[in-house]
Amino acid sequence: MKTGDKFLLLILAILVILTVGTGIISQRSSRDKIIVIKSDGKTVKQVPLKRGISKSFEIKSREGHLTVEIKDGKVRVANSTCKDKLCVKEGWIDKIGESIVCLPNRISISITGGGTDKIDTTTY
Amino acid sequence: MSSKRIVNILAFVFVATVLLVPIIRKNAASKPAFSEIYSMNTIIDIEVYGKNKEKTLSEIVQKINEINKLTDDFSKDSDIYKINENAGIKPVKVSSITLDMIKKSLNIARETGGAFDISIYSVSKIWGFKSGDYRIPTETEIQKALKLVSYKDIVLDSKNQTVFLRKRGESIDLGGIAKGYTLDAIKKILDRNNAKSALINMGGNVLTYETPPEGKFWNIGIRNPRGEGIIGVLKIEGTKFISTSGDYERFFTKNGIRYCHIMSPFTGKPARKIISDTVVSNKGYLGDALSTAFFVLGKEYALNNAKKFGVEVVGFDLNMKPFYTTDLNNIIELRK
Repeated sequence: MKTGDKFLLLILAILVILTVGTGIISQRSSRDKIIVIKSDGKTVKQVPLKRGISKSFEIKSREGHLTVEIKDGKVRVANSTCKDKLCVKEGWIDKIGESIVCLPNRISISITGGGTDKIDTTTY
Repeated sequence: MSSKRIVNILAFVFVATVLLVPIIRKNAASKPAFSEIYSMNTIIDIEVYGKNKEKTLSEIVQKINEINKLTDDFSKDSDIYKINENAGIKPVKVSSITLDMIKKSLNIARETGGAFDISIYSVSKIWGFKSGDYRIPTETEIQKALKLVSYKDIVLDSKNQTVFLRKRGESIDLGGIAKGYTLDAIKKILDRNNAKSALINMGGNVLTYETPPEGKFWNIGIRNPRGEGIIGVLKIEGTKFISTSGDYERFFTKNGIRYCHIMSPFTGKPARKIISDTVVSNKGYLGDALSTAFFVLGKEYALNNAKKFGVEVVGFDLNMKPFYTTDLNNIIELRK
């Protein structure tokens, strides 16, 4: 092998590793789960759903408000001002495609992201 | 392998990757027109891909609001409210959409031996499912309400475009068919606008339109009726309507017994033959109404009659054991 060949080989190898590597990394990041919260039809908050993140926060709408709790890679509605409390009864969700809807408050919490466990939507 | 060969291979991989990445990126960038709206007493997600996606989306939203205005039984301006107010009094002139929806409801009522009956309203009311104040009515109340349940008392006059309920106190509710019917109307809008792909979810009633933006199948999760998350996934190819009826959406429990919102027109009580069923159909209104009828009639009826209606069905019996028509074999993945 000539020196020039060796040099070219090295450059190409680095380029391939870089390109493929970036591809894999960007794919991995799209596989992360994201909690999308909508109030009155508008996205008001997006939170990554990862293990180790624990927090809770209030979401308001024109009709009322509710408390979203995130813990151990799961999310739920801990409290709500709505009458039927169906959103609270729904419990924890943690999979892409799952969602909790509080119809009276017009607030929805859904988990999105790429990955192999992809679900486009849910029938119920 | 010679070094020249390695250089060639690496060069090829590099060039291929460099060329492919923008294509993949571009595909991912072809974002849908998306809207989440609240109408027809539920949450509706609309996602449209294609050249005229924004125009298509606004036409869809308009259509949903139009149908909601006609069929919302709580609104005094709706056709349904007027029909119910004039029960036993006089026929009411209605829109062609309302007339058509009632006509289709009556056809399914006849074909299911009355298991799907839009005049079930009187019974739903005494259990509190209209007001949200749930209660167990007395046997006398149930019998009295049942006397006001008969699809045969719904008189249609197509020529004069009127609807008449024979007895005073009778009332109808299109909640079991309106969403599916609206999905049919949405499909027509998508056809007309040459939409490339679309996904609509109207409170659990799903329309998958053409091929998804990524992959070959739409992955439609079936909500777990007795736990959290999803119990199965349907791999749907192309345009289909998916409707589910279950005892977990609206219900109350008293003394350990579950009372759900789907009433049996035969007993005047909540149906209790299965836990849920999901119908895959080529017509939205049919899938919506049949999922209710199958829920009332149970597993055997569903499995034996799905073919006759040209639909597929998957459901869970009272022991949470799944059952489904054989054609679903290859497209259903059940969890656990």
